[in-house]
Amino acid sequence: METAFQILLLMTSMLIVLLVLLHKGKGGGLSDLFGGGVSSSLGGSSIAERNLDRITYIVMIVWSASCIGLLLLLKE
Amino acid sequence: MLTAFAQAFRTPDLRKKLLFTLGVIALFRLGSQLPTPGVDTQAINTCLEPALDEGGIYGLINLFSGGALLQLAVFALGIMPYITASIIIQLLVVVIPRLETLKKEGQAGTAKLTQYTRYLTIALAILQSTALIAIARQPGRLLQGCDLPLIHDVGAFGIITMVSIMTAGTAVIMWLGELITDRGVGNGMSVLIFTQIAATFPQQLWQIKVVEGWFVFIVVCGAGLVLVAAVVFVEQAQRRIPVQYAKRMIGRRMYGGTSTYIPLKVNQAGIIPVIFASSLLYLPALATQIGDPTSQWAIWIQKYFTRGDHPIYMLTFFVLIVFFAFFYVAITFNPTELADNMKKYGGFIPGIRAGRPTEEYLDYVLNRITTAGAIYLGVIALIPMVAIGVLGSSATQQFPFGGASILIIVGVGLDTVKQIQSQLQQRNYEGFLR
Repeated sequence: METAFQILLLMTSMLIVLLVLLHKGKGGGLSDLFGGGVSSSLGGSSIAERNLDRITYIVMIVWSASCIGLLLLLKE
Repeated sequence: MLTAFAQAFRTPDLRKKLLFTLGVIALFRLGSQLPTPGVDTQAINTCLEPALDEGGIYGLINLFSGGALLQLAVFALGIMPYITASIIIQLLVVVIPRLETLKKEGQAGTAKLTQYTRYLTIALAILQSTALIAIARQPGRLLQGCDLPLIHDVGAFGIITMVSIMTAGTAVIMWLGELITDRGVGNGMSVLIFTQIAATFPQQLWQIKVVEGWFVFIVVCGAGLVLVAAVVFVEQAQRRIPVQYAKRMIGRRMYGGTSTYIPLKVNQAGIIPVIFASSLLYLPALATQIGDPTSQWAIWIQKYFTRGDHPIYMLTFFVLIVFFAFFYVAITFNPTELADNMKKYGGFIPGIRAGRPTEEYLDYVLNRITTAGAIYLGVIALIPMVAIGVLGSSATQQFPFGGASILIIVGVGLDTVKQIQSQLQQRNYEGFLR
């Protein structure tokens, strides 16, 4: 049971890293960081980006759920 | 002020953004409290108290991660990998010509640089989480003076799982920050740093009351308020260089003829130098943790670079801050470009010829003003360390009104409020700051 959770966590973790990297970076580099000023958030996101968001949300929920599940399992 | 706040919540657009930001912050804090599966939380809790009193090398880094680092939480690494990656990329831009051309390309190039920063963040996250877990694996290394094992499963598979969880946590943090920038209020990364520091703030303040009593507590609070006021004052300070635009006739219409000014902030670099300097100073200490702690160089580093109250440490910190202040201003502010642009649109500074003399003048003013700003930053950042040296007590090791934390809280707070205000102004003109 534990190993199953661990494998699930491993896979979802890798998926998360991949999905996040697939996003277009909007946080801006250093010049944005603390630089002040309103950053350009013009233009909505494309459909592909929105779908990517949705997938990321789902994977994140699975990831955190299995994280908590494994925690509870190990506590017993 | 309060009515403006109510107004912000009454504006549907802004309310949505504010609530979104608050939600992300809540999620972020939740992840910072959630221990990584496989970590023995009870052992950590019993070990954490003496280790924090000791101070040690992790003080500031633990502050930046909101206490998540030493608890080995899912978000243990916090935003440090992203910051370190940004520093590295920024430094490389100066060194590597290919990156420099990318930067000069404008928006598309910057997007590519951001993407590189993101890749590097993940690489650093893997590296740092491996190092952290490798240290935590050996009893008594992460939390000194405590011999309980912190990790249940020290086998390879358990370790790999933990490393991948922490790496994914860092990726999630990066994404949350970008979500705030995109759909929320303020700059995501700075809001997240702000959250972590503000989260440990009350606890540290209360620690002072517990250890030193009411009198010291009130004095520290008062000193902190004065410091905040002073920091706000300097942050808002700017030198205004007047610019006159010549009148031009294009067709039948008259253009220009206005007079404006270029605002040069005294502290143009913001708090980045402080963050950079402290994360660089953390590297030697980290190296001793990974390497052999009994070798000659490790002992030397531990003697001079792990405690904030040593003069050599303070001096290095100060010099690094001043250096990064100049470095950052040099990167972000380009007098040549500004002078060229002004010339193109018929603008000039009264009394100074357009073109090269303007550029030299701007450079001259900028250098002088940055000198003041850099010294101010260094002095503010040194205040807690000097206080520790003067008071000489170990309990003040985590001085809550530490220079770095105050600078970050005030800087980010001001920035965010200004952004909310500018959005509010699209609807009506009364804002937070007058």
